[in-house]
Amino acid sequence: MFGALLVAGIVHGLIIGLAALAVTLVFGIARFPNAAAGDTMTAGAYAGLLAHQASGSLALAGGAAVAASGAVSLLGYLLVFRPLARRPVASLLVAAIGVAFVIRAVLGLIFGHQQQVFQVPLAWPIEFMGLRIPPMDITLATVAACALAAAFGVLHLTSIGRQMRAVADDPDLARVSGIRPLRVMIALWLLAGAAAGIAGLMLGVKTVVSPEMGWEGLLTAFAAAILGGIGSPAGAVLAGLLLGIAQEVSTPYVGFTYKIALAFVVMLAVLLVRPRGLFGRMEGVR
Amino acid sequence: MSLLEIAHLTGGYGETDILNGIDLTVEQGEILTVAGTNGAGKSTLAKAVMGLLPRASGRIALDGTDILAEPVERRLALGIAYVPQVGNVFASLSVLENLQVVQGVRDAKARIAELLDAFPALSERRRARAGSLSGGERQQLAFARALMARPRLMILDEPTAALAPARVVESFERIRALPALGVSVLMVEQRARQALSVSDRGCILDGGKVAMLGAAAGLLADERAAALYLGRAGGA
Ligand SMILES: Nc1ncnc2c1ncn2[C@@H]1O[C@H](COP(=O)(O)OP(=O)(O)OP(=O)(O)O)[C@@H](O)[C@H]1O
Ligand SMILES: [Mg+2]
Repeated sequence: MFGALLVAGIVHGLIIGLAALAVTLVFGIARFPNAAAGDTMTAGAYAGLLAHQASGSLALAGGAAVAASGAVSLLGYLLVFRPLARRPVASLLVAAIGVAFVIRAVLGLIFGHQQQVFQVPLAWPIEFMGLRIPPMDITLATVAACALAAAFGVLHLTSIGRQMRAVADDPDLARVSGIRPLRVMIALWLLAGAAAGIAGLMLGVKTVVSPEMGWEGLLTAFAAAILGGIGSPAGAVLAGLLLGIAQEVSTPYVGFTYKIALAFVVMLAVLLVRPRGLFGRMEGVR
Repeated sequence: MSLLEIAHLTGGYGETDILNGIDLTVEQGEILTVAGTNGAGKSTLAKAVMGLLPRASGRIALDGTDILAEPVERRLALGIAYVPQVGNVFASLSVLENLQVVQGVRDAKARIAELLDAFPALSERRRARAGSLSGGERQQLAFARALMARPRLMILDEPTAALAPARVVESFERIRALPALGVSVLMVEQRARQALSVSDRGCILDGGKVAMLGAAAGLLADERAAALYLGRAGGA
């Protein structure tokens, strides 16, 4: 029982972690809380659903989710956040909420508001060390692990990733080091969008696809981003895992309704002890 | 022709002018110190040359070409480098990454190897996070980062401000060695006497204007400069 909940928690935690990664990357580099991250996930879930219905392939669904969420994310930047750059954080937050509404409304218009599910074949659980693990969980966990490896590979092993971390660290010094802000921003929004897309796809496969799914998951993603130390990508992922596991493992005790609230209890408890989050290192964010 | 020529330069951050008509040159191969009281506009002048001041008018020319309207990227490409007063390294990046991240460098690998040779302390700690370096190492990294793009003019804003007193002398020695590498220097310094002692010329800013300008030795010997701006001999 505990083992099964642990496995479910890990999968759920990877979803939260990917969404929190999208939030924390934008916060670290563009320096505002992107409230549109959840609905960017939703766009990925619908794109994945369409691709899956057409092809039956989860890999193609993943590609479609990444492409759609990356495009939505980049469009949001070019059309809204770029013109508003250097405005106060509160303005950007409100703008992001607006973008979120627009994405949700468009998805609702196109796909309607009824819930849809991924038609995945039922399969017998795999026995592993006494645990019965649904094969889909293994697939999803593998997809998430690959997505995370790719994201961290970009951040730490590529030139544009280094430039992104430099801008997050000190935008003024980045400027006098010849780093071009526009290129970094485009890479940022594509990367954050891609992470949100994979998160949306996984959430859709695990639960249901609806226009509201991403918005409803946004607060948990924010909680993980804050818990991990806002601006810290590794912190966001680890905090996502922690919250996902805490939520699933506690479900038998606190019930389904309260497991969302639990994320915030954990977050508040940690922040009281460590105000900068578990892995916090970003200082002086405007 | 002067490497850098500044004429009638005015400008500031908002409505009010911080710089009130500055005339100044930096010659090829020279070190020029800019001294002056707190708030005189020294950092503002440094930013204006790099292209970081929101509003500037007058003339700033590099090798005779007016660059006043050029953005930061263009000035970097033309051979100006800048080491800010605070925040002069990427603390969360490794030493090596601080050098790799500089853009617009021809043959970057070879340049990094050259600079790590020139700064052995950095070479030893190339995998360390820049934030974990000592003050002296950190400054070497700030210099190395600025030198990546093979600049002809380096602007240093208070290079010794964050250093322990024991590190100040070696820091000035490092600056003194720059012209031999083909790098001229415009240095803003509070430790005016020590800075002037490694400089060719000096300039004293007051209220956004050049109050005094001349050979470093002359300024050091000048009674009025000493009384008003440099503090007592042996002090500072
Ligand atoms: N970013 C800014 N925005 C608005 N005003 C500024 C800014 N930076 C500096 N100033 C103002 O410009 C004036 C000159 O500042 P500047 O930093 O150039 O002085 P400084 O000579 O470098 O002094 P210090 O020795 O303290 O470094 C000061 O009155 C300061 O308040
Ligand atoms: Mg200053």
